[in-house]
Amino acid sequence: MRIRNFTLLLLILGLFFILPFVHAQGATEAQNIAEGKKVYDNSCAHCHGIEGRGDGSAAENLLPQPRDFTRGLYKIRSTESGQLPTDQDLFDIITEGMPGSSMPEWETALDADERWQVVAYIKTFYEGFKESETLPKEISLKGKIPYSKESIEIGKELYTQFACYECHGDEGRGDGTSAPTLTDEWDYKSWPANLHQNWNYRGGNDIDDIYKRFVGGIAGSAMPMFEDPAFGLSIEEAQRYTQLDNKGEMTDAEEEEYTQLEDKMANAFDILDLINAGEGDEEQKKFYEESMKTFYEKSWHLANYVKSLSPEKRPEAAIGKNSLRSQYVEDELPPMDDAVWDTLEESYFPLVGQVIIEPRQFNPTIDSVSVKSFYNDTEVAFLFIWDDRTHNTAEEENEDIGKTYEDAIAIQFPVKIPKGPTSPKPYFLWGGKLAVYLWQWQASAPEKTTELTAKGINNATEQEFQGDIETESAYSKGQYKLWVKRALETDDKKDLQLKPGVFVPIAFSLWDGANGDVGTKRVISSWYSFVLEPVPSVKRFIYPPIVALLSLGLLIGLRGFMQRRNTE
Amino acid sequence: MKKPSLFTICFAIFIVCWVFLRFFVGGVISKPIPNSVIAMYMALVFIAILVHISVEDTRFREFLRPIHETLVDENRQTRRLVFAVLIPLLMLGFTYTNIAKKANPPGDPRTVHPTPPDNLTYKDIVLGTMDEAENPHRHLEKDDPEAYKSHVENGRTVYYQNCFYCHGDHLDGKGHFADALNPLPANFQDPGVLPNFSESFFFWRISKGGPGMPAAGTPWNSAMPIWENYLTQDEIWDVILFLSDYTGYKPRTFGEGH
Ligand code: HEC
Ligand code: HEC
Ligand code: HEC
Repeated sequence: MRIRNFTLLLLILGLFFILPFVHAQGATEAQNIAEGKKVYDNSCAHCHGIEGRGDGSAAENLLPQPRDFTRGLYKIRSTESGQLPTDQDLFDIITEGMPGSSMPEWETALDADERWQVVAYIKTFYEGFKESETLPKEISLKGKIPYSKESIEIGKELYTQFACYECHGDEGRGDGTSAPTLTDEWDYKSWPANLHQNWNYRGGNDIDDIYKRFVGGIAGSAMPMFEDPAFGLSIEEAQRYTQLDNKGEMTDAEEEEYTQLEDKMANAFDILDLINAGEGDEEQKKFYEESMKTFYEKSWHLANYVKSLSPEKRPEAAIGKNSLRSQYVEDELPPMDDAVWDTLEESYFPLVGQVIIEPRQFNPTIDSVSVKSFYNDTEVAFLFIWDDRTHNTAEEENEDIGKTYEDAIAIQFPVKIPKGPTSPKPYFLWGGKLAVYLWQWQASAPEKTTELTAKGINNATEQEFQGDIETESAYSKGQYKLWVKRALETDDKKDLQLKPGVFVPIAFSLWDGANGDVGTKRVISSWYSFVLEPVPSVKRFIYPPIVALLSLGLLIGLRGFMQRRNTE
Repeated sequence: MKKPSLFTICFAIFIVCWVFLRFFVGGVISKPIPNSVIAMYMALVFIAILVHISVEDTRFREFLRPIHETLVDENRQTRRLVFAVLIPLLMLGFTYTNIAKKANPPGDPRTVHPTPPDNLTYKDIVLGTMDEAENPHRHLEKDDPEAYKSHVENGRTVYYQNCFYCHGDHLDGKGHFADALNPLPANFQDPGVLPNFSESFFFWRISKGGPGMPAAGTPWNSAMPIWENYLTQDEIWDVILFLSDYTGYKPRTFGEGH
């Protein structure tokens, strides 16, 4: 009896395992493609176009543009440079989407079958998928170098050697000298990634992902593939080579060493050419393989370094317990470059394109603004920090990116602080019936902050009485810093008056002139709040002991009461 | 084993209820519940226990027995001492953390679907009362499915040129601009949205946007644009058809549900 039950169970289980295979086998490629077309037309065509040319009805406003599938260029692959992606790659990118672009994730909206079907369908847009008979060559993750301080140090040097800074900037904020000149394969403007904001990477921010982007290249983008500039040299030799290269004068011995290294490289590149042409003898092949191994090692170090530039994850927005809290100091407020600022945690305000009022900004380039603040008995100081790849101080015609405007920021407060959570605030986009009070700073006047009153995004006026707002600012390595200081209370009725312990609504508008931001075209936040964090009151040392004593007294009293009742 | 005393049982019930609310309901099942709500439920539990033990005199005495023992019995000296130290210490810590706690900004209480005005208007044109105004293209669904489809397609274009940044590709309120907005963009995949309101309601919300809401909807916070400034009446009706076609949820019609 037992045994029979058991066989039955096995049988059922077996069926469960076999059925999916039968199912999968049953669906032929042609069926998959037909089903995939349905999914595609309903979910993808308005961006990628009915014929896969990336020209759907929504495409006009989007940058990066939805991919044109007819050229077989895919950014996010696990395959080597110049190869097509695997089906799994396509499936994964459709499942996860491409952060930092409008390409959404499809995990929630399509089931796995549908995603596989649409993979089959988008492959039909490019003949190359049919012609290739061999499977694309996948990048091996063997020899991964663990994330460590030493590896990051080596990676940092390689970052310079590989000239990543030309596009990504010295510190990696995407502000390199070539950055403004870059376009993708389709001649659309393309900005190098900001390596401090890896939540915007298209292909994920694991070390493995980053490694694959170097080794495989980001096809179709301005960062298509990499060649090791010191191919054939070991990491130490390459280090030595750059060291000598940077030296003004070399001794004879150094001169000789330098020439030797140069010869070694030249030789290696010759071999590389041979191998690429399908030639080369055994020994050369072996040399090539050794050199590639070194290249992979270098790439792991680079990946570790790039990973180290961003915070562990995207900071949480300044809501609730993360709200901006100005900290009390007794003395003078610290100036912009004071190291004391580093002791404060920054509050993170994510920003988005202004798409509410024409002209709109659909493709913002500023991710966020981070803020810190101190106050004392009479004044408050704020430090605003944001990344912007270019420093634009005037309206100009730029030969690469066309018309550019001035970079700027405006910090918005209500004129009157709402009394309670239900009392009205001004409209979050520069007020309406209720006015807002603004501090506007523009890159052309780095030491000046202008006070504005606004009753609408197109209805702002400079205040007649410009109070005393002390201002310092700096632009360096793709990052703006703005420091302002103002009295807590002023005589001007149109100004905001500040008191410790009161939550004050705050919002931001920022302009990246190189991205065409001017007027209503800008990046914005909704209302947040900040507070001058009250000095912790001494009550916290007085009340708790009293409560403790009281509870002890209560216990003793209770005992006395019970004892008395017992004896009665 | 000795049967646990009534006091222990009640105490255990109390703790189990708390753990259930705090970690199971407010963790496994849904988001953490605010402390004030937990406190309210626990007060109910406390009252229930109190009622239970006080209905009979003997039961009440039975309940008090362990407390009584701890407080006065001669052979409970150590236990007494432990409590005499522990309870004041707990109170000390509790009051300290409560006083030293940082205040958080007040939340914005908001009516998500505020009451619409009596008349539906587009700019200044009155389209009828809120109850009577209808989507002029809705009847095509039955009368001319081909024409209906082209209206839905037009709505799709409107949506992906204007709305998806905030409301998301999947109409789930998770557009790539959504995370910086507060309140969050409406989620049309939520069964509580489309089926509960009429097409005229959505026409009102779309044409007048965030600023068109009464104060209960906190219009000053909403990033929802005023679409009558940029879209034609037809485009607004079409995008409503698209919302309902894509999600499969039909807005309510008057007559049903009344
Ligand atoms: C809202 C517009 C939009 C929709 C809808 C959309 N995509 Fe995309 N998609 C994009 C954009 C934009 C890119 C290019 C991003 C980039 O180049 O950084 C892209 C890129 C891609 C890529 C290229 C990935 C790579 O490695 O380069 C694939 C594959 C893709 N989309 C598939 C799909 C599929 C399948 C659907 C439908 C299920 C879909 N997309 C729907 C906007 C969209
Ligand atoms: C010629 C300019 C250029 C150079 C040189 C360059 N990059 Fe890039 N990089 C880009 C551009 C442009 C992008 C954005 C690609 C896109 O459109 O998705 C990018 C993207 C990236 C990304 C993000 C990948 C993703 O998933 O979105 C990383 C990481 C990166 N680069 C690292 C590096 C490193 C490290 C180096 C040096 C070894 C380097 N880049 C050299 C232009 C460059
Ligand atoms: C800038 C972001 C943004 C854009 C663009 C946007 N919305 Fe909204 N929408 C919101 C926000 C935020 C809310 C929630 C707050 C509110 O109710 O006003 C909302 C609410 C709504 C509501 C109310 C739903 C309800 O439950 O009451 C409707 C309907 C709506 N949007 C439709 C649209 C349509 C249609 C478009 C495109 C024509 C659009 N939205 C474009 C941000 C946006």
